Amino acid sequence: MDTLKMQIDGQWLDVTPGMTILDACRTHGIHIPTLCHLDGLSDVGACRLCLVEIDGNHKLQPACTTKVADQLVVHTDTEKLRNYRRITTELFFAERNHVCAVCIANGHCELQQLGYSVGMDHVRYPYLFPECNVDASHEKFVMDHNRCIMCTRCVRACAEVEGAFNWDVMNRGFNVRIISDFNTPWGESTTCTSCGKCMHACPTGAIWPKEYAQGQLKKNPGMIGELMEKRNMKLT
Amino acid sequence: MDKVEPKKILISPVTRIEGHAKITLQLDDKGEVSDARFHVNEFRGFETFCQGRLYTEMPTITPRICGICPVSHTIASVKACEMIQGIRPAHTGHLLRKLMHLGQNISSHALSFFHLSSPDFLLGYDADPAVRNIIGLAQQFPDIARRGIRLRQFGQEISERITGKKIHAMGIVPGGMSFPLTEENRKALLAWIPEVLETARIGIGIIRRFQEEHQEMVGSFANFPTHYLGTVGPEGELDLYEGNLRFMHADGTILQDQVPPEQYLQWIGERSVSWSYLTYPYYKPLGFEEGRYRVGPLARLNVASRMKTPKAQEEFLRFKAIGDGQPVHGTFYYHYARLIETLGSIEQIEQLLHHPDITSTDIQLHGRWNYPEGIGHSEAPRGTLFHHYVTNDSGQLQKVNLLIATGQNNPAMNRAVLEVAKQYVKGDALQEEMLNRVESAIRCYDPCLSCSTHALGQMPMVVEVYDAEGRLLNSRTR
Ligand code: SF4
Ligand code: FES
Repeated sequence: MDTLKMQIDGQWLDVTPGMTILDACRTHGIHIPTLCHLDGLSDVGACRLCLVEIDGNHKLQPACTTKVADQLVVHTDTEKLRNYRRITTELFFAERNHVCAVCIANGHCELQQLGYSVGMDHVRYPYLFPECNVDASHEKFVMDHNRCIMCTRCVRACAEVEGAFNWDVMNRGFNVRIISDFNTPWGESTTCTSCGKCMHACPTGAIWPKEYAQGQLKKNPGMIGELMEKRNMKLT
Repeated sequence: MDKVEPKKILISPVTRIEGHAKITLQLDDKGEVSDARFHVNEFRGFETFCQGRLYTEMPTITPRICGICPVSHTIASVKACEMIQGIRPAHTGHLLRKLMHLGQNISSHALSFFHLSSPDFLLGYDADPAVRNIIGLAQQFPDIARRGIRLRQFGQEISERITGKKIHAMGIVPGGMSFPLTEENRKALLAWIPEVLETARIGIGIIRRFQEEHQEMVGSFANFPTHYLGTVGPEGELDLYEGNLRFMHADGTILQDQVPPEQYLQWIGERSVSWSYLTYPYYKPLGFEEGRYRVGPLARLNVASRMKTPKAQEEFLRFKAIGDGQPVHGTFYYHYARLIETLGSIEQIEQLLHHPDITSTDIQLHGRWNYPEGIGHSEAPRGTLFHHYVTNDSGQLQKVNLLIATGQNNPAMNRAVLEVAKQYVKGDALQEEMLNRVESAIRCYDPCLSCSTHALGQMPMVVEVYDAEGRLLNSRTR
């Protein structure tokens, strides 16, 4: 197979055509923070955490949706990027009502982990405190919009892995919300199979199993990638 | 004769972060104190912002109400959850919860007695406020100060050895516990017992000596009859973790016995008052005026027929002798009662640590939402605590009622401040002595407001004297 040559953080690397910059980085053990990316799902470039600098391109590009190219020179860890990642993370916290101390996902949350890793010690933006619904109508799971960061991993897991198409996105900007079917209570869904893949895919405490106590939540987002890998396996 | 306008004296302890309280004293036209109010202006809105949350989140949310008795809140909360689910906790989970709860009560009592109150007894009320604290105590009585600090540590270590965390009551969940107790940790906790038993005995020695040497003051200090509420086991034994309610009349007769905590609303009424965010609970059959009751260590010892363990029982009999067949009404005896409970808790912890199943991993059962309503209760360090949840059929909370100990003691605290003020306040002059006595009356109840748990030094207060028109006559800050 052809390989291309590109430079990441000063290092020349051989990469496979068609892969994304994120893939290339991961193959070579270079860490880039992500939230909306989940192995096994299509990429949508929603969270803007994986932005990288590319020489000759004045715009920052998301590593998860930008393909590698020959002679591309990419920087993943500059002062500017670190600053942007911290801003982005703070905005996530300011946008909805995240109260880690009493959240079921406390200690198992990708957003919380991200906050630690970008060194967020406080939020510089005013909290918006939107009024968000808690949908507990489903027999097994709760959807708490207070904690949703609109990564749409649940939407894609439901559509691309389970094929149920229960989840979708409604409205824009401040009013954007994940909806079940045509914005009806999740418990009344005619498409949901109660498989729980959205719960595993969700990086925060927005979707969680009902009768769990704090500290006992175990999400396995890696399961999505494993399922897809097995599905694509050729059995001879 | 010209009518002298009644005056109001306002004492406001200024606090650091959360919550504050102030005291107003009403003078009559002869300049004598006629009324006292201990205002609780702290409103944290738990009952409101929990609405819409899942009932299973309450054991995590409610321990944040109080940093000193988080376990009591969690215990009351998981019991309410278990009533909603219709399950009982796993056997060993149940034992471990008792252990956690006893540990927290010891920590809280140790803080109240050794850190906050014992400097008054050992260094004297007249000692310089700059040294009348745990630091001053450490200088003059290093062994006692160290023991007090270690007793508190012991309580916290129980939680830490089980859950890995000192505070916030992690790991207590509906159906039992998340963490077992390992054999190694069981042994480590057992090794503490001789030392902490001795500390409890020393504490009891201090308070008994003080009581003997200051009989008159102790006997008259905020001594007024009220009814009492506490939790007892099937034979009337004092129980901090579970059991039924016993209401005792001020004259010592038992008003109600073995009332299941779920029926608390049948016997306890709550009335809001304009000057406080806490509601004023009262024993319903006697009405708002006559039904004032107290909770907490003094109340528990008054209502109980006996203690569960031998050493505590011995001391309990001495306590009962003070009342001579009547309940012990003197507010000062809260301290003594607190130490007797501490002694009993240590003995019970020792028994639990020897329980053959204590290190079993049968710690949690799982339930699901089945009933819309749940009520849980526990005896927090400061008194009987109720959590009451009403959910919709998705398990979301529609109504939350938290009846906390300090709320139930609030009417009695007013009364205690009044009694003390009557004794020590003359006219609108504000003596240091009087501030100390008012502070010490409040401390007896160990109310869970940060102002009263200032570990170092005196309670900061602003005292202001107003006349009936609200004009400031006198003001004193310390
Ligand atoms: S519910 Fe979870 S997975 Fe779905 S968009 Fe929100 S944060 Fe992402
Ligand atoms: S991971 Fe690339 S934009 Fe979210």
